[in-house]
This record gives sequence, C-alpha cells and structure tokens, in this order.
Amino acid sequence: MSPFWRCFMAILEKDVKIELRSKETVATVVLFGVVLTFLFAFGFIGDPQTNLAVIPGILWAALLLSGALSIGRTFAREQENSAFTALALSPTPRSAILAAKVIVNIVMILGVMLVITPLIAVLMHVDLSGHVVGLSSLITLSAIGFALVGTPLSIMAVGARFPEVLLPMVVFPLVTPVMICGVRGSAALLGTSVDLNYMAWAQMILAFDIMIGLGAFFLFDWMVSE
Amino acid sequence: MNNRASEVTPSSKTPLLWIILGAAGMFLAHYLVFIYAPMESTMRAAQRIFYFHLPSAWLCYIGFIMCAGWSLRYLMTQKSEHDALALASAEVGLTFGVIVLTTGPLWARAAWGVWWKWEPRLTTMAILFLIFTCYWVIRSFGGDNSGTRRFGAVLAVLGAPNIFFVHIAVTRWRGDHPNNVGLEPEMRVVLYSCLLIFIIIFSLLVRLRYRVHMDERTAIALSRRLSRIGG
Repeated sequence: MSPFWRCFMAILEKDVKIELRSKETVATVVLFGVVLTFLFAFGFIGDPQTNLAVIPGILWAALLLSGALSIGRTFAREQENSAFTALALSPTPRSAILAAKVIVNIVMILGVMLVITPLIAVLMHVDLSGHVVGLSSLITLSAIGFALVGTPLSIMAVGARFPEVLLPMVVFPLVTPVMICGVRGSAALLGTSVDLNYMAWAQMILAFDIMIGLGAFFLFDWMVSE
Repeated sequence: MNNRASEVTPSSKTPLLWIILGAAGMFLAHYLVFIYAPMESTMRAAQRIFYFHLPSAWLCYIGFIMCAGWSLRYLMTQKSEHDALALASAEVGLTFGVIVLTTGPLWARAAWGVWWKWEPRLTTMAILFLIFTCYWVIRSFGGDNSGTRRFGAVLAVLGAPNIFFVHIAVTRWRGDHPNNVGLEPEMRVVLYSCLLIFIIIFSLLVRLRYRVHMDERTAIALSRRLSRIGG
C-alpha cells in the first residue's frame, strides 16, 4: 500500500472511530436536520402540487445548513492539544489528510440526508419512491461538491476570528451553483420544472465537483503552509 | 533593514497623466453616449445604459480574474505586493460590479418590465459579486495577518471558476439576456470608446488602491520598528 493510502486509511479510521465512540457530531447534525425539516414543513405545507414544488428547495436548504454544521466540526476537534499542527508537521501527504476529511464529511452529509429525505416525504405527503435513483445521485453529487468546497476552507476558518460566521459566509456563495443545479435537477425529476432533463443538471454538478475538487487539492498545500 | 519595511517600495509619483486622461475621458464618454450615439428604435433612451453597463461588466470580470490570479501568485510566493494587487483588483472589480448591478436593473425595468429576473447570467453575476463581497468583507474585518490573507486568496481562487459558469449559463441554460447584439457603426464607436475610457479609470483605480495598501503596510512595519527601538 502506498504512503498516501496508508495515511488516508489511518486518518479515516481515526475519525470514524472517534465519531462512533462519541457520536457528538452525528447526533447534533442529524438532530439539527430533523428540527430544520419540521420547521420547513410547518412553513411550507400546502396543497399536493405546492408540496411537490417546494420539496427540492427544502431538501437542498437542509443539505446546505446541516452540511455547514458538519464541516465546521471537521478540524475543530484537531485543535485540541494542537493535534492538527502535529498532523501537518508529520510526513503525511497533505492530500491524504484532505481526502480523508472530505470523505468523512460526505458520509456525514449523506447520513443526514438519509434521515431527512424520507422524513420530508412523510411530512409533506409526497411519494418520492419512484425517484430514489435520480434523487440519490443528485444529493450525492451535491454532497461531494459541498464537502470539497467546505472541508479545505474549514481548516482556515478554525484559527480565524468569528469562525462560526466566517465559514458559512464563504462556503454558501461558493456552492450556490451546486445548489441551483440540485434544486432545478430535482424539480425536473419530480416534474415541476420543464427546462432541462435532470441528467443535464447532474452533469453540471459533476463538472463543478471536478473543477472545485482539482482546485481544492491543488491549493491545500498552501492553505496549511503555516 | 526590517523585512516588512523593505518589502514595500511603492512609487511616489502621482499618476497625473492618467488622472487627467480618466477625467477627460469621462466627459467624452458622456458626450458620446448622450449626444453622439444614435437613438435605438426599440429601447429608445434606455438603450444608452448599455454603453456603461457592458464595459463595467467586462472590467468587473477582469478585476475578479486579476484578483484570483494575484491571489494564486500570493499563495505561491507569499509576497505582500501580490496580495495588495489582489485586494486592489477585487475592490475595483467590486466597484464596477456595483455599476453593473445598478445599471442592469434600470435596463431590465425598461426592457422586461421588472427590476430583476432569475435569468442565468444575472443570477451568476450576482453570485460572483457575492463571493468577492465576502472576500472584501473578510479582508476588511478579519485583520491584516497572513491567515486572513491566505483565507481570502483561497476564496478568490476557488471563486473565480464561477466565471466559467457565467459563460456557459447563456449557451446552456438559454436565458433571455441579450447576447451578440448587432450594433450600428456609430454605436460600436461609442461602445469601444467607453470601454477604453473605463480601462483607463480601472487601471488608475487599481494602481491607486495598490499604493494605498502598500503605504499602509509600510507605515505599520515602520511603526512596529519604531516601537521596538523605543521599547
């Protein structure tokens, strides 16, 4: 196994183990997502056609807000005892650190969406069972895009003033293209929008993911240079 | 000599020629737009907004691209000059962005009957403007330290690819933003003259802002040096 994969697996295993033992991030993020879902449901519940039309917006707003909470925690834990400094000073390839953290965030966001999506369907009286594959692919691609943008920026926000405000302020505008494509794509899937096929929107998110992913991995070395 | 003090050597000369050119150019631009340019048959007087709107939009994009380019250079070299140039470009790009987002709705109201439309190019321009506003807010209120500079630089470099989405927005999403408008020869003269004048003003503003940032940094470095000597 190459050093990259060894380090990647070690960091991933460490993060998953800590999370499985403490469950602090997963519990708070899922609970936050559930609370959001109820709030949105109270706010938007209407006739069946309206419910179908607002579902994409609710889903992607929930992904965005829960995702922001999740990525904010990514490196916060590494601050204790200067763990991140030790990690950055070690001969670990920095791309392995970023890749492991991105995977953890993707899993976290997808876990939240796995709870939220059926809950929204139940609360809004909408049957999403016929669109599982399409919706899953759009959500997965969006989660990847969000994690690729948010994870590298979260390391920089940790040491900054007002990190809790700074991170969403920076990440939200950057991921807007993903959100627009996700919302339009799922609207096309549910038949409430006729502009483009959902596959075309999914391809747009994929293009964004590739572009931003390359940028994030290219820049990460400089981001943690101090 | 102290590193921070020696890293900055801004030119002390006032770019008087550029200031005169820019000021005279603005008078000329107003003459060309309001008197020389022929009246457009459909949009009437509202079409004249276009001569300020389009050059501002181009220079806004150029400002953001320059900001991303200098930010990338700063990340690679960690040189204060590159960061100051990135910041100056973003500030001037934002200024032109304000002109675009002010003149655009004025034109939209006359053409479409609404101030704002969720049309792809408008939306993407607004997002791009938001990203660089965030950059400017971080740089203005985050304190001038290397962490904030790097954070801003990364934001600018990651934010710039959104320009790509602006470009594909019209071709792929088929919005109703005018594209490749056919222009009369006189209108073309006015448009390109305005573009040239705006380029002069843009360069002047970037240069002046860059000097302000570099002078500020020199002053801070020198005051730190003085306090060390005094202490």
